[in-house]
Amino acid sequence: MENPGVKISLRRGCWTAMAAYLLLAVSFYFLGGDQLRHRDDLTDWLTPTFQIGEVTKGVALEQPFSPGMDTFEYVTVLPGTYARKNTSTVQIQILNGDKVLGQRMWNAAELSEGSPISVGADHPAAFPKGTMLTLRITSPDAAPGNAVTFDCGGPPASSAERLTYAGKTADASLCFKVGTRKTLWFGTYYWRLAAAFGLLLAFYCLRLVRCREKGKNSLGLRVIDACTRYRFLIHQLVSRDFKTKYKRSVLGVFWSFLNPLLMLLVQYVIFSTLFKQDIVNFPVYLLIGIIAFNFFSESCSMSLMSIAGNASLITKVYVPKYIYPLSRTLSSMVNLLLALIPLMLFILFSGTRVTPAYLLLPFGIFCLVLFCLGLGMLLGAAMVFFRDTQFLWGVVSTVWMYATPIFYPEKIVPQQFALVLKINPLYHFIRFARIVVIDGVSPEPKAYLLCLLFAVGMFAAGALVFKKTQDDFILYL
Amino acid sequence: MMIEAEHLAMRFRMPQERVSGLKEYVTKAIRHKLKYDEFWALADVSFSVRKGEVLGVIGRNGAGKSTLLKIIAGIMKPTRGTLKVAGNVVPMLELGSGFDSELSGRENIYLNGAILGYTKAYLDSKYQEILDFSELGSFIDVPIRSYSSGMMMRLAFSIATVVNPEILIVDEILAVGDEEFQKKSRARMAELMAGGTTVLFVSHSLSQIREICDRVLWLDGGKVKLLGGTEKVCDAYQENLAPGPAPQKGKRP
Repeated sequence: MENPGVKISLRRGCWTAMAAYLLLAVSFYFLGGDQLRHRDDLTDWLTPTFQIGEVTKGVALEQPFSPGMDTFEYVTVLPGTYARKNTSTVQIQILNGDKVLGQRMWNAAELSEGSPISVGADHPAAFPKGTMLTLRITSPDAAPGNAVTFDCGGPPASSAERLTYAGKTADASLCFKVGTRKTLWFGTYYWRLAAAFGLLLAFYCLRLVRCREKGKNSLGLRVIDACTRYRFLIHQLVSRDFKTKYKRSVLGVFWSFLNPLLMLLVQYVIFSTLFKQDIVNFPVYLLIGIIAFNFFSESCSMSLMSIAGNASLITKVYVPKYIYPLSRTLSSMVNLLLALIPLMLFILFSGTRVTPAYLLLPFGIFCLVLFCLGLGMLLGAAMVFFRDTQFLWGVVSTVWMYATPIFYPEKIVPQQFALVLKINPLYHFIRFARIVVIDGVSPEPKAYLLCLLFAVGMFAAGALVFKKTQDDFILYL
Repeated sequence: MMIEAEHLAMRFRMPQERVSGLKEYVTKAIRHKLKYDEFWALADVSFSVRKGEVLGVIGRNGAGKSTLLKIIAGIMKPTRGTLKVAGNVVPMLELGSGFDSELSGRENIYLNGAILGYTKAYLDSKYQEILDFSELGSFIDVPIRSYSSGMMMRLAFSIATVVNPEILIVDEILAVGDEEFQKKSRARMAELMAGGTTVLFVSHSLSQIREICDRVLWLDGGKVKLLGGTEKVCDAYQENLAPGPAPQKGKRP
């Protein structure tokens, strides 16, 4: 391959890659926003069961609480008004021993039954393990009949968290939430990390150019050569799949739009009437799950048959065998991209806020596609040796569908099955997309890492098995 | 040297007993109790082909001719032995195996061409030539499921022979279509094989072998029986054929 054209285009490719990396690294920093730098946590409160009684002048309500391990920011409580207009004032303080960390005053008239109010620390800080702070609620002027109260529940999380009201300690606790903020090292060291990866990339590019000049072989060069050499074939195979799929149907390519929408309709009717769930923006939640799982099941079942089904071709012409599962996965990806159009239309019509974070969606799609490609290669190879694979896969994919929160909220998964969710790669990909689309923000750095690990891991495993076994395919076809 | 084959051997394995289920298969595979009938389609075949040479390959059914061609075409990896092939190989083993019946003739030209390893620019430049040679005219835009078998073969032949390969592998002279087209396709094949290309040519027709080949390789039971000048090998082969039917060879999977 000693031709100057290739050499120049490799150089140009390297420059393009570096420029693209720079652009991505900078834009990612701004798209990721606060989610990359810190994570906000809020504890859950006890279910309110009763109200403690009026907080009048001279009566103090004290609630000890643990500020948690991260930077403590604020506490939220639930006031009660006895359904009357109170004119007194109420003060809430956060105390560390005798030291006041933060305080705030309210006119009782501003408060309404059950709408939470928060007090922040003046200087958010982390406390050593085991520190207990105190929430102290008092009133300088309230007379009985003109004071507010607060929601309580029980039993308290620990005996240290029992509340004291009018000098008496009760076996109950105020309903409160503790807001903390954790600083993430990823955000702190972002630019250093980005620069390190940039350097690695630059070194690798340099090495590739060196290898090319000296005519040495390297994995990267082989991949680049294969990509340029077989691009036309892959393009032809993908467009073949796409053309023949809808060839004789009247609506043709519209089925790519229509199919997810119809499935959405069916499942939406079932799950919003029969099994009611309180999920924010349920149609979009559901549609994302449907589209992702559709792609997963379509690409895997197509890759599964890609070797066994092309036996007549494989025994007659030499084509690198990975082309078959690759082209199948890519043609499913075209369908996936088409299915995103109705999703976007749906989002626009349902009034969901479109944010710049949507630009992060391609990352999730890339991980999903890479994962499916790896699994597809594994299945395609297995199918050659065990024809039982296709029937087994039918069962496995059904189980997989129910193990993934497509139409139910992840919260209803019982504690003992939480692990199933954690090790389910599809859950992580779908969760990524839902955070981006529904919440309109970037997921936390860990979500990126998990998605990438699952995708690359599956791809590596699939590619390895495929490479090891591909020479034997022909003997079993 | 364009092709150098040294001690090529190809083994096929067939499970000896029928394994009736997955459980039995797994337990047997773990204990290495799976027994196979071994069948050597090729056993120790060595030869080399110079640039521009036309090598004929003859032998009875089951002698290993097709296996040899598939190994050289890169479709199979030999169990043993080394093979060096310098240059791009175009195999003409079976025509139209990459066709998709739902697509039109035009789309199939690009699809099949891509499978055979042609580039887009090459196909663009040769498109008219393929169309003219296949004599399909306006049928080129019709899905090929409505083609007659003759039309299909004409199209496949036109695509396969538009190339200018360094090494050409031919399994039987492909004469398809009506008499007129057969004459044309024979002329095209002769033109291809005469054009300085290195050719590996398998045929049962000794007259064709004598006509085209520079040297002949006679395979028998997976081994080289004789390798040498066309006349010498063909004569020996013909003598060997005469006495009676060949002994039955084992079947391949």
